[in-house]
Amino acid sequence: MIVAERKPFDEIKELIQGYKKILIVGCGTCVAVCLTGGEKEVGVLSAELKLSQKSESAPASFGEATVQRQCDFEFLDEIKDIAGEYDALLSMACGAGIQFLAERYPEIPVFPAVNTTFIGVNKDVGWYEERCKACGTCVLGMTGGVCPVTMCAKSLFNGPCGGTNQESCEINKDQPCAWHMIYERLSKQGRLENIIKICPPNDWRNQKPQTLIQPGYEERKALSE
Amino acid sequence: MNTNTKLQTDMEKIDLSKDIAVIGGGYTGLKAASRISESGYHVILVPQHNDADFNFSVLDVPSTEINRVKALENEVANNTNVEILPKSTLVEATGVPGDFTLKFLFADSVIEKKAGAVVVATDTAVNPLNTIYGLNPAENVVSLSEFENLLASQDTKKEIQTGQKTVAFLVGFAHEGSPLLMKRILNSVSETVGMDGCSAYVYVNNIKVADDGLERLYKQSRDNGAIYFKLEKSPTVMQENESLTVRFHDPVIRKDIELNPDMIVCEESMIADETNLSLAKILRIDQGPMGFLQNENVHRLPVNSNREGIFVIGSAREVQSLSQSWTDVDNMVLRVKQLIGDGEKSISAKAVVDREKCTICLTCYRCCPHEAISWDDKAIISQVACQGCGICASECPMDAIQLIDFTDAEMADRIQKAASAVTANTPKLVAFCCQNSAYEAGMTAKAFNYQLPAGLQLIKVPCAGKIDIHYILDALVEGADGVLVLACHHGNCKSESGNTYAKWRINDAYRKLEQIGIEKNRLEFATLASNMAVDFARIVIDMEKRISQKKD
Repeated sequence: MIVAERKPFDEIKELIQGYKKILIVGCGTCVAVCLTGGEKEVGVLSAELKLSQKSESAPASFGEATVQRQCDFEFLDEIKDIAGEYDALLSMACGAGIQFLAERYPEIPVFPAVNTTFIGVNKDVGWYEERCKACGTCVLGMTGGVCPVTMCAKSLFNGPCGGTNQESCEINKDQPCAWHMIYERLSKQGRLENIIKICPPNDWRNQKPQTLIQPGYEERKALSE
Repeated sequence: MNTNTKLQTDMEKIDLSKDIAVIGGGYTGLKAASRISESGYHVILVPQHNDADFNFSVLDVPSTEINRVKALENEVANNTNVEILPKSTLVEATGVPGDFTLKFLFADSVIEKKAGAVVVATDTAVNPLNTIYGLNPAENVVSLSEFENLLASQDTKKEIQTGQKTVAFLVGFAHEGSPLLMKRILNSVSETVGMDGCSAYVYVNNIKVADDGLERLYKQSRDNGAIYFKLEKSPTVMQENESLTVRFHDPVIRKDIELNPDMIVCEESMIADETNLSLAKILRIDQGPMGFLQNENVHRLPVNSNREGIFVIGSAREVQSLSQSWTDVDNMVLRVKQLIGDGEKSISAKAVVDREKCTICLTCYRCCPHEAISWDDKAIISQVACQGCGICASECPMDAIQLIDFTDAEMADRIQKAASAVTANTPKLVAFCCQNSAYEAGMTAKAFNYQLPAGLQLIKVPCAGKIDIHYILDALVEGADGVLVLACHHGNCKSESGNTYAKWRINDAYRKLEQIGIEKNRLEFATLASNMAVDFARIVIDMEKRISQKKD
């Protein structure tokens, strides 16, 4: 899932400074699961903002709406009847959702209330760890299911580097060396020969925004153009 | 905040399995099997640890009770309503109260059984403590259990008697002990001095007599010639080949003394069954101290675990004597009858999931202290298992869970009314009160006419775990000058962790208030018990004073 965290309150306050009617828009998928931008968090942020404006002579008013996913136009349409009543939208979705919301309602200023941090896993309630950099060239098959791009500080494809220190990375003793983990995993599975195979360099396609069309849907896309 | 969740409040009719699984084949498990089957239920008895099919462990049974337990063993073995799964181990437990699915490993095969309820009745194991005294097991250095066995057989007992042995008992220096252990020691001491020519010297730290008849047993053994040395420090014990020496300072005659007993009986400890931890994991019930099961909870009957339909009795939860554990059995049978009844039940929902909103993040499943939540493609709450604490509802990031009696919409309404109640120039205080403690204390304070703030409004919650951070902020938004979150004391929550969640949320709220720039002391967290009306009054009056000062 995509993991995000709430922006500092002061930053949010500053972003919406001067706007008088603001709709806080939550997203019911990734950011809800990581307890950052679902319906509950929309309500809490709304209460915080109301509280901070209480002493002002003309406090702004806040509306609340949470859609299933802000990365789908169909769901964004659900607020089309009310969006026009507001002079700003405050999105609690990931960066993709925020941009899509801004694209769907280009005439209204859209502000982010969260920082999108990483693609990660859920270790326990409220505890997430990064596992994927969305590099576009997955090598997990060769590395025993441990991602060197994410887990190695240098994102080395053919590691380890000279900084590997026992089981740790040179940057920090608490940071495990990804290539040590890869070695351990492969050796447990009897697939150590993988580690000496040369992994070709990454195709850094994600230097520019990417588009993905599932092979079965190329004709559908052609039809829509 | 959620305002339009449609709630399904109809009574739900459910079937409950009338098979009850009993794990543990000692005297507690046997008694449980017997009493449950008397009540008309079918019992699946899993003795664990047994080598032969019906070889129940009756080693720890007091000699006076052996015949009763043997008769019980016989009765259970011949009871057609008790199905025995010998040599089986529980490996998986799924489902909900009334409909558990249990998997047992038997040899290499897996046996699956349905059960309406599960009773954990494991026994204690005995742990010898001779090494703490620096003693090696020998013919003349035995553990308490071994000595009891020697006394139980006529042949070996005669050997002790004809040898006119002097027996030394070492008690209470290797561990604190318990009345139950003391009872076994006192019985052995009594039997020793009851044999012509034999004498007993007991080296003891604290004499634990806090159980029925123990004081009498202790006095009797002294009257019959047993000699007790009550020492603060362990005597020095030496074992050279067959010669034994006990050296100690007698606090009465204030002299160092050296004695040479013929035999030493070394205390032992009674420890929890080694399978308890894995049972706790599989059944998802709380562990207690020292390998025993479940935490003490003042709001709950001792035999009830944190999960409905799973009961922990006898020495599975603490070291218990036969009579204590059989009392547990009676209590458990009452609870089983209450839960399962005649196998059919109408139940009204305490909490419901809005399946359209649920994003199946698993937060509720992970937070529920009663293990009442499972999922298909959305979260499902078992209405039998649910205790209505509301922890899940207040953690759900989509406000998809609503408590029937405490919906977010109703709570918003109550908060709005409480926070905007008109009071002449006194601070408006909104106190969220757990109904198991603070609310009772508050109502008592009112009934006794204690001095309370004029602007105080109580909002009852089923558990402090239901106090959403949103409610706290909302109360301030709606005009409250101060908000109090009043929970049960630490370790006293009926739902185990409701007060912990409340405390975490309060700390989160403090961080938020600081960022917003609102005085932190407008929010107060305190713990109470239901009988603490005076403290309740003090806490709310103090709050009023603090806020009045700030206002001035």
